Amino acid sequence: MIKITNESFDLETELKYVSSDTNGAYSFFLGTVRSDLSSSNKKIKGIYLECYEELALVQLKKIRSTALNNWKLNECLIIHRIGKLDLGEKIVLVITASSHRANAIKACEFVIDSLKIDVAFWKFHLLDNDQKEVVLQKSLDNEKMLKWREIIN
Amino acid sequence: MNITLKYFSWIRVKLKKSHDLIEFNKNISFKELKNNLISKDAIYQEIFEDKSVKFFLNLKEIDDENQTLNNGDILAFLPPVTGG
Repeated sequence: MIKITNESFDLETELKYVSSDTNGAYSFFLGTVRSDLSSSNKKIKGIYLECYEELALVQLKKIRSTALNNWKLNECLIIHRIGKLDLGEKIVLVITASSHRANAIKACEFVIDSLKIDVAFWKFHLLDNDQKEVVLQKSLDNEKMLKWREIIN
Repeated sequence: MNITLKYFSWIRVKLKKSHDLIEFNKNISFKELKNNLISKDAIYQEIFEDKSVKFFLNLKEIDDENQTLNNGDILAFLPPVTGG
């Protein structure tokens, strides 16, 4: 299941969606809005997430399909929020389900690392006076993705 | 023919708009469109010179500047993504 949404989500509800007695392991990644500093060292009030939804859905389907095939998952759920989010709010949820833990854990890490590099979402820091500051991509995220590409290809 | 341009992140902020609908009297290539935009507004020079910006035509990344654009196409300007 893939969802891009303005609404928050409930972990127990989403877990029920992927639950099955064929699964022996679930791995989760939950990303939340952390208190951070802007480039001018001011505390942010939250974040704003922009998305090119038509493209992001295509890219998420490809990532999910790669995860399902490479790690023999039984299910893979990806939810990503868009719009304005306050500090502490949930941004993204990945749940991978498989027979054994190793596959679920690896696949979950692959999905969230891919999502940071290959999907059309953009973060902005929300500052005072309704100002927004573009969040830049981290080189570390890119390096991690290059390692995954060696494994996947 | 009409081409829709979609702008995201810092490109949208810099151009102060999320999209454009532009009209041409004949089919053109991506390279011709690029030169046309640069001649209209210097901001496009900066955008096209930034090697981290990707261009997607109808949801597929452009890998050949000579690719022809057709009526109804959607061209998206994508800075490096920062989701997750």
